[in-house]
Amino acid sequence: MASTGGGAYSYSLTVFSPSGKLVQIEHALAAVSQGTTSLGIKGAPYAVRNDIRCSLIYSASNGIVIATEKKSSSILIDDSMLEKVAVVCPNIGIVYSGMGPDFRVLITRARKSAQAYWKMYGEYPPTRVLTQEIANVMQQATQSGGVRPYGVSLLVAGWDITRGQQLFQVDPSGSFWAWKASAIGKNMVNAKTFLEKRYNDDISLEDAIHTALLTLKEGFEGQMTEKTIEIGVISVPTAAELEEAPMSAAIGRPKPTFRKLTEEEIRDYLAL
Amino acid sequence: MAAASVYSSPGFDFSNQIRNNFLTDKGLPLPKATSTGTTIVGCLFDDGIILGADTRATEGPIVADKNCEKIHYITESIRCCGAGTAADTEFVTNLISSNMEMHALTHGRKPRVVTAMTMLKQYLFRYQGHVGAALVLGGVDSTGPNLFTIHPHGSTDKLPYVTMGSGSLAAMAVFESGWKANMSREDALQLVKDAIAAGIFNDLGSGSNIDACIITANHTEMLRNVEMPNERAKKEKSYGFRRGTTDWKSEVIRKLVLSEEVTPIGGGDAMDTS
Amino acid sequence: MSIMQYNGGSVIAMVGKDCVAIASDLRLGNQALGISANFQKIFPVSDRIYLGLPGLATDVTTLVNMYTIKEEREIEPETFAHLVSSTLYERRFGPYFIEPVMAGLSKTPSGSFKPFIAATDLIGCLNFAKDFVVAGTASEKLFGVAEGLWEPDMEPEDLFETISQTMLNAVDRDAYSGWGVVVHVM
Repeated sequence: MASTGGGAYSYSLTVFSPSGKLVQIEHALAAVSQGTTSLGIKGAPYAVRNDIRCSLIYSASNGIVIATEKKSSSILIDDSMLEKVAVVCPNIGIVYSGMGPDFRVLITRARKSAQAYWKMYGEYPPTRVLTQEIANVMQQATQSGGVRPYGVSLLVAGWDITRGQQLFQVDPSGSFWAWKASAIGKNMVNAKTFLEKRYNDDISLEDAIHTALLTLKEGFEGQMTEKTIEIGVISVPTAAELEEAPMSAAIGRPKPTFRKLTEEEIRDYLAL
Repeated sequence: MAAASVYSSPGFDFSNQIRNNFLTDKGLPLPKATSTGTTIVGCLFDDGIILGADTRATEGPIVADKNCEKIHYITESIRCCGAGTAADTEFVTNLISSNMEMHALTHGRKPRVVTAMTMLKQYLFRYQGHVGAALVLGGVDSTGPNLFTIHPHGSTDKLPYVTMGSGSLAAMAVFESGWKANMSREDALQLVKDAIAAGIFNDLGSGSNIDACIITANHTEMLRNVEMPNERAKKEKSYGFRRGTTDWKSEVIRKLVLSEEVTPIGGGDAMDTS
Repeated sequence: MSIMQYNGGSVIAMVGKDCVAIASDLRLGNQALGISANFQKIFPVSDRIYLGLPGLATDVTTLVNMYTIKEEREIEPETFAHLVSSTLYERRFGPYFIEPVMAGLSKTPSGSFKPFIAATDLIGCLNFAKDFVVAGTASEKLFGVAEGLWEPDMEPEDLFETISQTMLNAVDRDAYSGWGVVVHVM
């Protein structure tokens, strides 16, 4: 019954309760916290640009890892079809916790958005711009009639030449935040506490991947194998790699900075 | 979507048409856009496809660009040569390249050359020839090597060796006399170079250098300016003016911003989602 | 007569050694009648990008008001060139009568600056030349003079002389351009 939650305010999404809450958004967050755990860890704190003549500071094995638990409700499900870490464009990847169908819709929107940006500017969108596009789509669902908010939280990992690597979390309200490391979904509170203990500012990508696996292991139900987790990484290109990247879209595309780890690679990391 | 986006909606904007038609009626015809007179070719060889193009862009009788790129990227193993209205070839190949990447992401496999061909012909047919792109599309996919020509109205051909553009007759003459099935990579590249050279030297719409692209099952090699038969001879003497030659009336000097600081904002505060 | 000659005017951009220059004439006409001798056709987009817009003056004004970048970062010249190109191509079947010329300094990954020039036709076909780009009513003359005078690796002072002399001499033989020249060297 409606009265258990926010009373009469819990149905109409576009009406604030007297205490200033949009209760449907809180319900959406509840849906997210029932979803399987996902997390993201960013290596080296910030892409610092201290002088316009001196570009981004690169450190070796720099990057971001995003990872998630992949759970299928029955052993009869062909889990090769499940995809929770998705490529948006060659420099951005997303992982989610919450409702799969909602994520599918959002990822299609995000991909179209990235392609539209590419057609206009001849380059893929910076992480912040893409994140804001998705966040706008999600915000719209909190202010329009006849719709419900998206039942997902997202972790957006990306790299661009101006801001370097960035990790964003987007929530059903449409708010988004940059993080050094974050977790969403069922085990998020414990996972975040774990990450707070483990995180340091000059963590390497390899260490970040291991920390991600350790964090997932906390509260993991069942066996953690290459079939039951998914990992995506941003690897920051070196200055030399950037110099030799094709200057013109007619010749080729820049080397992707985001990629999903293969099952073999995940198995190797788990074995360590 | 109502929210302001960083880019506009797809499709063409016709809002200037009434004005422009009025001007045309007043006897001020539409100016000419850059076109690529062009010789573009493609041919099969024993383990793949070679595409070739000249590098001249023209505006009427003027050479607008002496070294432009006419072999456009579609996917890693599919490329497309363009002739006709330069902007149309550029944008139509960009659009299809973008659609192919979308296709690859949603279907989780490498898209085929026929997919690109179908997208291109459907798009061009929709515009009834007004999008003036004549294309040679080639690539290698799970079905093997594929080579197509696509005409501005949307008709397509699938042939083992093809030419397009104003230099197509000169290039085809070379292909007809020299092409054989299952040629080696070296022989096929030489034949493509000869065909483009025939266009460069016998067709005024084509000129400058030769670009080629060799596509095989697991490798694509873009040979930009593989031959440069029309390089300008080095000037023996300089025409440099002595400093102070030009008399000027006023000078304004602006300093560029010299340093910029990026302060990271936000911390680990919990998000406000209420 | 073409609508491109209605108001007259020409722009040229040239590459030097770690520098670029862009120059235009200052005439605004109504066909043969001179209207203004101080009509600016070159506009700063950012500290490092200048955009020259010869063509129909009404469209020049419209377009200058349009290029507001909705991003928090400084746009790179290459990116801006693509933006100009896609904006013009959007009106493929009802174009603006302008032929933009761009000059700028683009940042390389190592942090240094590289000269950049580009031009498009009226429907947005990009031309990334390595030496010089021209547009406007004197474009044919500019092509000829620049082809003779341009040399690689000019210092800013020499680039100024070369672009100025190219412009002045080409414009002297074009009835629709003239009345002074403005040169920007970066």
